[in-house]
Amino acid sequence: MADLFKVSIDFETSHLIFPRLIIAILLVLGTIIVIRNRQAIAGSGAMWAETLRRMDKPRFLGTIALTVIYFLLMVPVGDIWPNTGLGFLICSIPFVALIGVLYMHERSLRSMIPMLIVAVVAPAIVWWLFTYVFALTLP
Amino acid sequence: MPILEFLTPMYVFLILAGTLVGIIFGAIPGMTATMAVAVCLPLTYSLGLDNGLALLLGLYVGGISGGLVPAILLGIPGTPSSITTTFDGYPMAQRGEGEKALRIGIVSSLVGGLISLAALFFFAPALAEFAIKFSYVEKFLIIFFALTVMAALSEDMLLGIFSGFLGIFISLIGVYDVTDGGNGEYRLIPPGLEYWLDYGFSLLPVLIGLFGLATILEAAEVGMPKGQSLKDIKVGAHSRFSWGVFKGQVTNLVRSSGIGTFVGILPGVGGSAASILSYTAAKTSSKNPESFGKGNPAGIIASESGNNGLTGGAMVPLLSLGIPGDATTALLIGAFTLQGVQVGPLFIGNNPATWDSMIIAMLLANIAMFIMMYFAIRWLAMVVAVPKHILFPVILMMCVIGAYTINYGIMFDVWTLLIFGIFGWLATKLRLEVAPFIIGFILGPSAEIYFIKSLESFGTLTIFFTKSWIAMLLWALILGSVIGSIMLARRKAALELAQAQAQAEP
Repeated sequence: MADLFKVSIDFETSHLIFPRLIIAILLVLGTIIVIRNRQAIAGSGAMWAETLRRMDKPRFLGTIALTVIYFLLMVPVGDIWPNTGLGFLICSIPFVALIGVLYMHERSLRSMIPMLIVAVVAPAIVWWLFTYVFALTLP
Repeated sequence: MPILEFLTPMYVFLILAGTLVGIIFGAIPGMTATMAVAVCLPLTYSLGLDNGLALLLGLYVGGISGGLVPAILLGIPGTPSSITTTFDGYPMAQRGEGEKALRIGIVSSLVGGLISLAALFFFAPALAEFAIKFSYVEKFLIIFFALTVMAALSEDMLLGIFSGFLGIFISLIGVYDVTDGGNGEYRLIPPGLEYWLDYGFSLLPVLIGLFGLATILEAAEVGMPKGQSLKDIKVGAHSRFSWGVFKGQVTNLVRSSGIGTFVGILPGVGGSAASILSYTAAKTSSKNPESFGKGNPAGIIASESGNNGLTGGAMVPLLSLGIPGDATTALLIGAFTLQGVQVGPLFIGNNPATWDSMIIAMLLANIAMFIMMYFAIRWLAMVVAVPKHILFPVILMMCVIGAYTINYGIMFDVWTLLIFGIFGWLATKLRLEVAPFIIGFILGPSAEIYFIKSLESFGTLTIFFTKSWIAMLLWALILGSVIGSIMLARRKAALELAQAQAQAEP
């Protein structure tokens, strides 16, 4: 009986034991969840269609798109002036401003002014703080 | 006395600043204490451990407390943990007793915070002392227990457990680290990403993504709900607050703080559970339960002392076992990692000065929270109306900077932020639970080491049951939490069925 629980671990492959165990548990749990919730899963197409229909697409997808562009531009722009963190500063100002415009409800010039001030001041403060006070490199 | 060396003007300033910013984050619906800590983590980088923690603990205490402001004035919880505050706070505000309700909430928050802090002070060292004797077997079981408790208390136990194991799975990506006794081999890395995922995903970008970016994405999905305009906010000029409200409420205060502290100690269980449980307890033990939900001050007292009781409680498992008590304390682990300090049973003994400084920081944060909120309540009420289109872009930028600087400038960490931001948004759609996922992700690598090393040295699976009485006790607790949760689920299902039948019969 006691032999049944005996395990010997080969050090060479010991990095695979735990991941395999976890994958096995995830598969078992996943199977149970799929069987138990099969109705909900069958209806998930409709759920996603509904989510997509209700979604504020410009704001949601716009956030993701702007973020991706922001991430992609930061390093190339930063490489023009290496180790100054200017890539971050130059990309952040339009990013903050554009996201701000995206999230606004009434886009009048008057209501944009405080937001635009923040879009310039906030990245500048952060850039200054990280570059000169904390001495950390930004892209 | 040398122990108060950390008490510098900078330290006090950081606590005050943290508490104020925390209150503001808490007071704006859609922004949470967790988000505040996530956004400010990179700032602690160069502050050193004591000062960094001072800022973060201030944010934590302030963030949990600030949630009561919109809960009472607008009926919208500022943080998830102030849901139950709306039940009685909002009706009071509608009656023109807003200021009174706010002050009741503030005083209760202070009491809850202080009681739980006392619990932390006395309980954590004792638990740590006890946990030092744990071998790998017990340590593994503790993690396992933490995961089952969380799963048992999640909305859906199976999905909760699944989320926890998914977190472990993601955490195992990368090398089986030699420094922890692994063999230095790589596993689970998707092809093409070997260079980036050598050591797996870094903790902080994952956390910032899940709690910062995901929250913003959720708000964007529903069209960035318009903030409240200032004229909607009525504090109520003629409501006189008097300490007499608390007459006969001492039991309620102590009980709710106790419940909050206890819920905090349970790993991975968030603040909403703390306030809901203490609210229910106050309601059931009240002489006139029907007055709850209609503006009974006792409801605010229960809810607010409950959710602030969480703050000290959640620190107990973090500082004694290295297991975070809720999502915000999970982020605190990040702060320790940044400074290269290991949290676990040895932490308090090895870092007595840091321990003292944390306790003092929480004490000062509670007092600062009380003073700021009690006397500046009219000003704070206006914070609720700060427009999100100004705040959220800046927060997004802070998330990016946090992810980037955490490992001294690795762009992949920024992409990790995006991946987990989208994952966090997706998870709520798939009804996966973020809290168990995070705990699994944080504890996964340790769980692996403890599990494999136990088997390597003992060579049999039975060791997990027979190692010591502690191991057996832990198994009893694990079984208990699973059975308890199944019973709870059954009872809930039966109740829903009965309600459905009652509705069917006209």
